[in-house]
Amino acid sequence: MRNDAVFFLGLCAALAISWTGIVLGSHAQLGFLAPYYDDNQGTSFPQWMPGAAAQGQLVYRDLGCAACHTQQVRRPGFGYDQARGWGERQSVARDYIYQPFPQLGLARVGPDLANIADRKPTAPDEEDLLRMLYAGSEGMPPYRFLFEERRVGAGAQHSDLALKLTGAPEPRPGWEIVPSARARALVAYLASLKTTYDYPEAFPFVPPKPEGALPEKAAAPAPAAAPAPAKSGGSP
Amino acid sequence: MKDEVTAADSSSRAPLLVLLLAALAWLVAAGLLGLVASIQLHSPRFLSDCPVLTYGRMAALAETAFVYGWLANAGLALALWILGRLAGEPLRAQGWAVGGAVFWNLGVAAALGGVATGDATGFALLGLPAYVHMILLFSYSAIAVTGILSWSGRMRRVPYASQWYAAAALFTFPWILSIAHVMLFSAPARGVVQAVAAGWYAQCAWTLWLAPLGLSVAYYVVPRATGRVLPSYEFASLGFWCLVFVGGLTGGRHLLGGPVPAWIASVAVVSAALLLFHVLIVFLNLRGCFSGGGIALRFTAFGIAAYAVGALADAATSFHGVAAQTQFTYFDEAARQLALYGAVSTMLFGGIYFAVPRITGRAWFSAGLVRAHLLLTIGGILLLAGALCGAALVQGRDLADSAVAFAAIAHHTRPWLAAATAAQAILLLGNMALAMNFVGTACRILNVSEPASFNPPSAMEAHAP
Repeated sequence: MRNDAVFFLGLCAALAISWTGIVLGSHAQLGFLAPYYDDNQGTSFPQWMPGAAAQGQLVYRDLGCAACHTQQVRRPGFGYDQARGWGERQSVARDYIYQPFPQLGLARVGPDLANIADRKPTAPDEEDLLRMLYAGSEGMPPYRFLFEERRVGAGAQHSDLALKLTGAPEPRPGWEIVPSARARALVAYLASLKTTYDYPEAFPFVPPKPEGALPEKAAAPAPAAAPAPAKSGGSP
Repeated sequence: MKDEVTAADSSSRAPLLVLLLAALAWLVAAGLLGLVASIQLHSPRFLSDCPVLTYGRMAALAETAFVYGWLANAGLALALWILGRLAGEPLRAQGWAVGGAVFWNLGVAAALGGVATGDATGFALLGLPAYVHMILLFSYSAIAVTGILSWSGRMRRVPYASQWYAAAALFTFPWILSIAHVMLFSAPARGVVQAVAAGWYAQCAWTLWLAPLGLSVAYYVVPRATGRVLPSYEFASLGFWCLVFVGGLTGGRHLLGGPVPAWIASVAVVSAALLLFHVLIVFLNLRGCFSGGGIALRFTAFGIAAYAVGALADAATSFHGVAAQTQFTYFDEAARQLALYGAVSTMLFGGIYFAVPRITGRAWFSAGLVRAHLLLTIGGILLLAGALCGAALVQGRDLADSAVAFAAIAHHTRPWLAAATAAQAILLLGNMALAMNFVGTACRILNVSEPASFNPPSAMEAHAP
């Protein structure tokens, strides 16, 4: 530490190592990931987001939805993601290659949304999502500012888009609740979030059991071991 | 005697007071924003009808004001002061520091305005909209000019540990911000590489910028306030290089199990464990602060303890078995608060209590406010970290049981989150006490009839009982 040059070169080297190693390393590995072409379906995956969904991702980002919702399903056997029905497979890097602003998120105050449009057994449709946004819930704020309250009646027609609400969030008589363009874009985005296509890398290789370990099972037909990855019981 | 108020201190006053005043204003603002965000976490309907005040934006606003408003301004002020003192002469190029401070704070204000009106980026510790990056970059560099001139004009050819940490912080922030700007905004990387780059930035901002700012202050205050040479000082440089080389590699621990290559999380586990070596050395070097009596030492001691606990928690939660319980829960928030508030902020508080009487040449305005600040800060941080850990335990247990709905989780965590809100309120009160006390002390400079301190500064630090 006697020499200023050594000090500053050391700092440069330290930064360069972590930047090259972590950021450029993963960029080299994943930065040029191509979509996966499926011969049977004659198309490639993932597919581009529809325009409304791309706008909706901007709304998602500017409202900071990622403060409470993740968009990453962890692999079977690590955590509760499959048990909660958030996705049958883990999220992989290829799922995000067409997303200009991937919203992986760091907190799960609310549920994961990576596969919300294909959730089992019942996925919410756009109408459900709009109602959820308007009404809020015990753990989620209502986003009333994304909706417009309009008077209906003589001279003012009903909007086709008006929400069908029942119970507490029902509007005053003579009024209706109409989602704004931002609300519709946000919901179009959420409805586009599904990880239905099974990429080969989404099912990690599970090594076959060693031959000598369970001799009585060795005689069993081999294909029985094949569907193992589908189960959520954890192999370490 | 070295520790008296020197002419160098009082003639370096202007940039330091500007930076500290801005820092404390942001600290109070960040406290208010954090309090609102904390209320919204357990009562989601609170202020939810206004788009500016929605939770996602409030959380980003509170974090941005805290990190880029409070920590950056206060850390820079103290880094400049330390570098200047160890150069033994008044700060040079003070106009650069003052001008830089003005533009830095305009930039932070513009960033907050941008986040509030919908330009948030959604990245942790990098909520700054892309258009303020350039102004922050240039104004930071302008402030750093003053520090680097003092570094190169230092009295002793072999620099002290506090100088290494301060110079490292001055040097690295512009670099990591410009890398993040290119990889996330001007030529954004594809897909999840953005998440990796953002994680790298957040980790480097912590280990190469904020933590060094705090440690620089601690390494200066502890030997000065105890009047003793640091024990095991020969290991200090090892600790510094360990932080610098290993720190940036630990960012991947938040991506464990995510859609990124597994080696990123594996590197993070190894580095988080290696980083404990750095913490051990810091602890050995600065252990003298635990026996000291002054107010500056008490804050520093709390900061060092929080730093050590935070590093242990980071290392523990980067392991798979632990992360399966803690990932995505309030535990991350607890660790963040412990690091940014418990560790770095309290080290900076210690530095402020040590520096301000020397910079102004006046005793603290009110000793009662000093004691109140100490008690409120320590109590508030312990309550905040404890409450968030409690919430994380409940949340982790509930999440693992797929039969528990999210509404039920919100219900179960509510008491803990209410305690966290109380803690935020306590911290806000403490910070207001500090801000009032600082303004009162700074106003004493205007009072020319009061003799410029014939007391030794240590008598003006308002010793805690």
